[in-house]
Amino acid sequence: MSGIDWIVLTGTLLAIVLYGMWRTRGSRDLERYFRGDHRMRWGTIGLSVMATQASAITFLSTPGFGYEKGMMFVQNYLGLPLALVIVSALFIPAYFRANVYTSYEYLERRFDLKTRQLGALLFLVQRGLSAGITIYAPAIILSNLLGWDLRLTILAAGGLVIAYTVSGGSPAVSLTQKHQMAVIMTGMVVAFAIIVADVTKEIPFTTALGIAGKMGRLEAMSFSFDPHVRYTFWSGMLGGLFLALSYFGTDQSQVGRYLTGASTAESRLGLMFNAVLKIPMQFFILFVGVMVCLFYQFTAPPLLFKKTALQAVEASPRAGDLRALEARHTALFEEKREAVRSLAMALERHDDGAAASEGQRVRDLLARDEAVRTEAKDLVAQVNPAVRTNDTDYVFLTFVLAFLPKGVVGLLIAVIFCAALSASASEINALGSTTTVDLYKRLVRPGQSERHYVRMSKLLTAVWGALAIGFALFAGLVENLIEAVNILGSLFYGTILGLFLTAFLLKRVRGTAVFFAALAAEAAVIALYLSTAIGYLWFNVIGCALVLALASLLQTVLPAGSDRAPGGNAVAPAVGGR
Amino acid sequence: MKADEARATAPPIEKEAEPPPFLGTWPRLYAAVLGWLGLMVLLMHLFTLRYR
Repeated sequence: MSGIDWIVLTGTLLAIVLYGMWRTRGSRDLERYFRGDHRMRWGTIGLSVMATQASAITFLSTPGFGYEKGMMFVQNYLGLPLALVIVSALFIPAYFRANVYTSYEYLERRFDLKTRQLGALLFLVQRGLSAGITIYAPAIILSNLLGWDLRLTILAAGGLVIAYTVSGGSPAVSLTQKHQMAVIMTGMVVAFAIIVADVTKEIPFTTALGIAGKMGRLEAMSFSFDPHVRYTFWSGMLGGLFLALSYFGTDQSQVGRYLTGASTAESRLGLMFNAVLKIPMQFFILFVGVMVCLFYQFTAPPLLFKKTALQAVEASPRAGDLRALEARHTALFEEKREAVRSLAMALERHDDGAAASEGQRVRDLLARDEAVRTEAKDLVAQVNPAVRTNDTDYVFLTFVLAFLPKGVVGLLIAVIFCAALSASASEINALGSTTTVDLYKRLVRPGQSERHYVRMSKLLTAVWGALAIGFALFAGLVENLIEAVNILGSLFYGTILGLFLTAFLLKRVRGTAVFFAALAAEAAVIALYLSTAIGYLWFNVIGCALVLALASLLQTVLPAGSDRAPGGNAVAPAVGGR
Repeated sequence: MKADEARATAPPIEKEAEPPPFLGTWPRLYAAVLGWLGLMVLLMHLFTLRYR
């Protein structure tokens, strides 16, 4: 990175963080620290919700996915607008009526203390683990590509996020996220414009789209019922709906964002903002990856985008094998470039027959090149089995560093940092607020002053931030950690959603029934995970359905009077507050 | 301190009846959002067919 890039990067990050800290200084009560005195307008809430969901990996993996497989991943988001409508109509009014700081607090109002604790603990375990990954994942990629020290990168990103999240609480998180999203979208639009300008030096834009189509990169929608097709309209609508419903409706890192709204209307509009814009945004980010793929049809891509994976082979006795693979990769690129140019000419003269045959030739060459890349990955794994060879996450940033002008590189690195900070800030803020409100204030030290709880929530937020940094520092020791954390999330999300849907939809069900139903459902989900090969997205549906069904069943068999009436704790307990 | 505590236990901001700034009612706004989802599905389907 050049000096200009460093100025753009550090200037952007520090300006946003310092402005956020200055604007939100002096929080002395929980109302302000956790809910920003209910002053946030819908635009800030909408951007804050969007920034919380979009971590750094979104802007690294998604273009990489577009580059390798095309647009089909956009279908994963089809259930999101429907989920946000349900959250807006059902969850938001309930949370505002109950005047809660956390979503789990609502469970005590509706059921009982043990159900609240169960919901809070499930969240703390799952989100506590993933908070470290949110920092680790971009840090490992940046350190690989830029040669930065991994530990220093983790400490710098983690330290920055702890500083402003502890200082200003939820309002600081929301305010910084608004500006971070502005930087993110500006950076992505600038990158897209530069890539399009580069590609159109070779071929017109419409021809480029035709080539991407012939390469199978523009298939955005599939109505296939084939269970082997991973991304379809059906999986996106059903699996995506339950995942989004649980995430936006019950996960405190999201609930905390829209509880800062000046009214239910402001919070609802913030969610509708996301319902309208999320799919076009994901489409755009994937499309950036497709354009990078087109760019690399005219400029030779590296054999593997993760250059540190190749460095180990270069220093080993197998370096000769690597050079042979690189020679085959280069020869295939030259042949493919000619085939792509022939395809472009066929498309421009509307010669469908030639376009079909040239398209097939390009696809064959792509498959042969992919086989060479797979051989290279196998070679890396043979030399050093500990090295992860998947380089999807490295595609976009490799392109940025090699081909974007000075200054823009700094802006794009700032995009990655902004995304990492914004997602982490929501997570540790939510972990701090849940621990303070649902455990410390309710169980450990009830009846203390507001100032005491604010001090404690700052301390607990800092502790969670430190734990996230600690986890990130040791994350590399655990193989396939990112996937493990994703699976862990899906194992819990269905049960948590089941608790809340029971609260909203099954009015006759009481605390004891739903508590044991949730425990049984969680045990069943874990047993299914250990004994079957069901895709983990489906555990969201299964866990939720089991809680709803078992809670209804248990309520009919439990003796009358074993529980208090539903909603019987609608007023906060006299001692211990919330 | 007392002021702080009073604010913390104050009733929630309850404006549930407040309509959205456009389309008049929330059900209409939700229907429009779901209509937008349908339109996006249709456009992405047509996009897929055009470049398949």
